[in-house]
Amino acid sequence: MRVLIVEDERKVAKALREGLEAEHYDVHVAGTGEEGFFLVNHESFDLVVLDLMLPRRDGLEVLTTLRKHGLQTPVLILTAKDTVDDRVHGLDSGADDYLVKPFAFPELLARVRALLRRGRPDQILKLQQDDLTMDLVTRKVVRAGQSLELTVKEFEMLEYLLRHVGHVVSREMLARDVWRVTARATPLDNVIDVTVARLRRKIDDPFQTKLLHTVRGVGFVLRSEPG
Amino acid sequence: MRFLAPSVRTRLTLWHVGALALVICIFSAGILLFVRARLYGALDQQISHDLATIEKVYHEETGDLGELAQRMGITQFQVVEGGTVLYQTPGWPPGGTTPYRLGALRDASHRITAVRDETALRQTLWTLGVILAMGVPCAIGLAIGGGYLLAGRVLAPVGAMAETARKITAESLTERLPVGNPRDEFGQLARVFNDTLSRLEQAFEQLRRFTADASHELRTPLTAIRSVGEVALQRSLSGPGYREVIGSMLEEVERLTRLVESLLTLTRGESGRIQPALEIVNLNGLSVSVVEHLRVLAEEKEQSLSFEAEANVSAACDPAILRLGLINVLDNAIKYTPTRGTIRVGVRETPSGEAVIEVDDTGLGISVAHHARIFERFYRVDRGRSRESGGTGLGLATARWAVEVNGGRIELESEEGKGSRFRIVLPIFLSVPPARKT
Repeated sequence: MRVLIVEDERKVAKALREGLEAEHYDVHVAGTGEEGFFLVNHESFDLVVLDLMLPRRDGLEVLTTLRKHGLQTPVLILTAKDTVDDRVHGLDSGADDYLVKPFAFPELLARVRALLRRGRPDQILKLQQDDLTMDLVTRKVVRAGQSLELTVKEFEMLEYLLRHVGHVVSREMLARDVWRVTARATPLDNVIDVTVARLRRKIDDPFQTKLLHTVRGVGFVLRSEPG
Repeated sequence: MRFLAPSVRTRLTLWHVGALALVICIFSAGILLFVRARLYGALDQQISHDLATIEKVYHEETGDLGELAQRMGITQFQVVEGGTVLYQTPGWPPGGTTPYRLGALRDASHRITAVRDETALRQTLWTLGVILAMGVPCAIGLAIGGGYLLAGRVLAPVGAMAETARKITAESLTERLPVGNPRDEFGQLARVFNDTLSRLEQAFEQLRRFTADASHELRTPLTAIRSVGEVALQRSLSGPGYREVIGSMLEEVERLTRLVESLLTLTRGESGRIQPALEIVNLNGLSVSVVEHLRVLAEEKEQSLSFEAEANVSAACDPAILRLGLINVLDNAIKYTPTRGTIRVGVRETPSGEAVIEVDDTGLGISVAHHARIFERFYRVDRGRSRESGGTGLGLATARWAVEVNGGRIELESEEGKGSRFRIVLPIFLSVPPARKT
């Protein structure tokens, strides 16, 4: 999977490149809008990560021109502006998704995965990790043959973690996708932490292998090996 | 002084003088015309009197016309009968430089014409004209001088106010304008200006406090990130050790992010950039959903969290913004209520037509000294403890904005040690203009 990053901030670009390379993507970096424009026109990419605030040539302008030329590649825009107007404007210009700076890296990875997966049917009825299974139809959760009683929020959170199994999930992602709270100023972190603690009590405490791990300062991850 | 924009004093004088000049001119012209009409009227009356006398003599004793001419002296006349001159005074027709006024009387057989000298009349009118022509400019000149002086005296307080106002800067907002007579226009102006200054001073003071608080709040996580990083670099750690350090730094980054996020929302809201999209909202439903949302937090502290309402209450508000406000209030209540405390959320309608959401707790309570400022940004009753519990210090400020932008108000009743009651009061009907749909 070839990913192009158009980002002028050198530190951010480097972090993005290393982070995405660690996930085994083939990453290319363009430092200016013009360079990005040139690369997209001459090479083929599976995804473009585009910063909106670029020197000389504005990211939105680059995007609009590319779309006019018939470019189909999914584009994820990074922006420091987060008013509704800015978002609508970005999406209208042909972006597939946007992420507001400062963003959590796990969230960027999740968005990238979602964009690359786009178009493929997602008909999963059962989620599984080790001896933990979740039936999305009957809404039953079983671990090691033992049925677990989860509340609605715990179930939704576990489903979300299972869908991102092996990848870190940030509190922001949980707030938006599980609690469906869009206002980032809502005090929700305590609620999330408590829910995680309760979920852990139910799915991990009675068992030998721990699945739900906290990545300090970043978020949570569901995986079998100790983290 | 620029030509196009003269001072108020000059303008005032000019208007004053202009009006006066207009009145004087009209008045003078009126006098002149009136006097002229009266004088000519009198002359014409004399002439017609002459004509009547001449006619009488002409009818009765035509031969005496010459005698009449001598007796009437100043009057010259001519009598014409059927095309021939019957009699005319010597020197007829009148001519030369002397102005005459002429009167005539005619019928089928004869015509009598008489004239009278109007030199004296013209002299009188001329004298009157000269007096007026000299008096009017003098009066206008006096009016200019007097008006300018008067305008200067009237406007003197304005000059004094401007002088004082010029000295008032952001640093010396405590100064006030002198109020002369509080009931006259300038006194009112000074009072209004002073009121504005008071509000400005308050705003500046709040801003100063906010800036100090905000930089403190921002510096604290920055200091933590910096010292944790610096200390870690000095020691050589193992892999997990570094993970621990980076994790700790990221935690502070998250705190900073949350702080900036909340601050941005609040600033945007307070500057009016967020317009509420009003609709009729069932407050019971909204409150229940917020209670359920935060229930886990209360359960962790073994608190009893309940919702009670006698009837369904609705109000016109933006549900998302109001929800944000209520979440902040309830989150605050749970945070400051000790383990096994009781929190009650209630919804009711007042007889005066207001919808009320009440959040009661059996928490620490807030002493009256803090009531006024508890809704300010970053205001904390106990700095250390609030930071421990992970708050941004913006919760209640956000709540207040969220309620006020919906046209409501937020109230606090609290006694130290006994608990607090936060009351969100909303008008039931639309009281703010509906938001612009985007």
